[in-house]
Amino acid sequence: MIAAWYAVVSFMLIVYVVLDGRNFGAGMLHWFVAKTPDERRQVIAAIGPLWSWHEVWLVGFGGTLVAIFPRLMASAFAGYYLALFLILWCLILRGVAIEVGGHINDRLWQTYWDFIFVFSNFLLAILFGAAAGNVARGVPLDVQGNFSMAFFTDFNVRGHVGLLDWYTVSIAVLAAVMLAAHGATYLTLKTEGPVHDRSAKLAKYLWIAVVPLLLIVWVESKIVRPDLPGHGALFNPFWWIGLIGIVASAFTLISGLTSGHELRAFLGSSFLIFALLATGAAAIFPVMLHSTLAPENSMTAYAVAAGPMSLHLATIWWPVGFALAVFYFVFISRRYAGKVSVQRDTQGFY
Amino acid sequence: MNSVFNDPGFWHRLQFGFTLVYHYLFPQLTMGLAWFIVYWKWRALRTGDEKYNQAVRFWAKIFGLNFAVGVVTGIPMEFQFGTNWSDFSKYAGGVIGQTLAMEGMFAFFLESAFVGALIWGEKRLGPHGHFAAAIAVALGSWISGYFILVTNAFMQHPVGYQIETNGSLGIASFSAYLLNPWAFVQFAHNQLAAVVTGSFVVAAIGAFYALRGVHSVQAKLYLRAGTFVGLIASLLVAFPTGDQQAKMVGNHQPITLAAMEGKFEGGKMASVALIGQPNVEAQRLDNPIEVPGALSFLAYGHFGSFVHGLNDFPKDQWPDNLELLYYSFHIMITLGSLFILLMGFATLQNWRGKLESSRLLLWVLILAFPYPYIANTLGWMTAELGRQPWLIYGLFHTSDGYSKVVSNGDAIFTLIGFTGLYFVIGLLFLGLTGLEIAKGPGRETNPVVPRREKVLA
Repeated sequence: MIAAWYAVVSFMLIVYVVLDGRNFGAGMLHWFVAKTPDERRQVIAAIGPLWSWHEVWLVGFGGTLVAIFPRLMASAFAGYYLALFLILWCLILRGVAIEVGGHINDRLWQTYWDFIFVFSNFLLAILFGAAAGNVARGVPLDVQGNFSMAFFTDFNVRGHVGLLDWYTVSIAVLAAVMLAAHGATYLTLKTEGPVHDRSAKLAKYLWIAVVPLLLIVWVESKIVRPDLPGHGALFNPFWWIGLIGIVASAFTLISGLTSGHELRAFLGSSFLIFALLATGAAAIFPVMLHSTLAPENSMTAYAVAAGPMSLHLATIWWPVGFALAVFYFVFISRRYAGKVSVQRDTQGFY
Repeated sequence: MNSVFNDPGFWHRLQFGFTLVYHYLFPQLTMGLAWFIVYWKWRALRTGDEKYNQAVRFWAKIFGLNFAVGVVTGIPMEFQFGTNWSDFSKYAGGVIGQTLAMEGMFAFFLESAFVGALIWGEKRLGPHGHFAAAIAVALGSWISGYFILVTNAFMQHPVGYQIETNGSLGIASFSAYLLNPWAFVQFAHNQLAAVVTGSFVVAAIGAFYALRGVHSVQAKLYLRAGTFVGLIASLLVAFPTGDQQAKMVGNHQPITLAAMEGKFEGGKMASVALIGQPNVEAQRLDNPIEVPGALSFLAYGHFGSFVHGLNDFPKDQWPDNLELLYYSFHIMITLGSLFILLMGFATLQNWRGKLESSRLLLWVLILAFPYPYIANTLGWMTAELGRQPWLIYGLFHTSDGYSKVVSNGDAIFTLIGFTGLYFVIGLLFLGLTGLEIAKGPGRETNPVVPRREKVLA
């Protein structure tokens, strides 16, 4: 039961990262793939009407986390206090930049909001990457299950760690490059003309750059957490399914990129990120928050879950809500399928 | 230094209060506006009159701006349960988490999936699809309100819970929790108050166009709908929903009722103070004008009913900011009464066919639009200040709820950050809304909005 809920909560967060990650990536590359104001509006239009729908998955994750693992949510969010507010502010700035940038057709105005847009998306990718690194590495949890972290301490991965150290920074870099590659793959699918050509080229380079970074992070992870994957993971079907998923989606991505099948490449890229994160989540289970001070302070999913009645009730309504979400997802994917036009209409939208 | 500034609880409360009040400026308009849009779209379908579609397009754009700011300011609300109120989440997450998650899954998903279709999808969806999108958005926003109010109602009047083995709260009866009587009354009162905000804004923009002599067909439409709906909603906010809400407070939070009325001494034939200043040190109401017996009647149904005074309760159970609570409640009531008078008079003038020509009344309607926002905010301040010193009434103190690991400095830092960021967002929002209003709902000579090849993303 608890394991299934752990899978559900991880799933919601991962879906959010995959969905919004393409926006972070496209946003980061905004300046490099789009040179003229019209091209830049085109990138925004590829993201525009869906960003709030993507952010809802973060809200769904947050709500489900409080409902199912309240004690984890409480310790983790309070501990990550400043980092979380940076993420929230960047999300606010990103949303505002998308909404207000196109409202006034003025070069200077749009350049300014384009800058905010690129900057906040870049910071979001870095921050989410560092957050993932923190989950993998662990945080200085004390006996009461509390922690508070500075942005950095001595950049070491043991004892009283900070948000940033050599390990989390390298994961942040990996996240930024990988999400940029994901975003470029998405822009290739959604745009035409010069933006499309530049994105297609960038996507290939960026995915090639991901490979060595991934290897480095894998080796680092072995050093930082030699205990992972735990013995449980080897018998955890999700871990094996995840590994197979990584290989399969990597092949899909490569074949899509090389053959020019844009949709196949984008699906491959989405599932690759999904499978990587899912494998990571399966590898650390059942520990949700590892303590760098003492392993016995670590919080397992079993220790932080809500009472049996709350879990039981959530089992009733969550699948219904999720089925509805899938229905909206299909509706949205069909409605917004196809490339964004290069022409601007009289309302200022593409 | 004053001790309150050294109390981390003060900063956590201030930040949550500030971000919440700011956030709620936007949903209260979208919830109120949503049904106007549904109504006009329905009229457009029934009559085929293009003016209704024009109104839908215009208000959908205003809706979209409010929705976007509502989304970006709403996400921090959910996260602050963990960042700033972690001890509360540890204690009550098993209960309140249910409705917070359900809001996301059942309401927010629905609303955000269809809001884009409502604003940009008229052509692709066709008239019936567009109507369905309008209904989906309206339902989404109201269901969202219900789940949030169930959460708040649990904090006001906890029902359906049990204490788990580890000392935290869990759910004992899901139906009791979801069908909390407090939530019903609060939902009706709050949603109608949102409709008041929506109708005042609709009427104000109608009055603005009428005064400028532009968009006369649209202006008439907005003025008629805004003033009539405004009158009905203002009446319903006061009676029965406001009345029921006060009775609910009287029955379950008698200390709060005494504090809202500035009543230090209890007794029969308790009076309602129309005006007066609570003097907490001297424990009396200064310079009051009172209606004898009215409070006994309003709260418990008989003029002779006994109403508790604050002195009947130990001081540590009093709400900690009596003056603010008292004034919030009284100014809300006063504004609500003025809304009924204003909208009643405007509806009368409209019925006599004189609304568009009475410039003074149009001016008043324009200038009146901020006041429902103020009244809504004060209503929430009454509810939340009145609940103090409890975070969950009778179960859990506010001072136990905040994150003990977050330092004062961190809380102050983020509060300052939010202040600056929200100031900028406020400026942008006002500027862009102003632009949309200036652009207006399109020319009347050309009722069909210019062709747009909508290949939107």
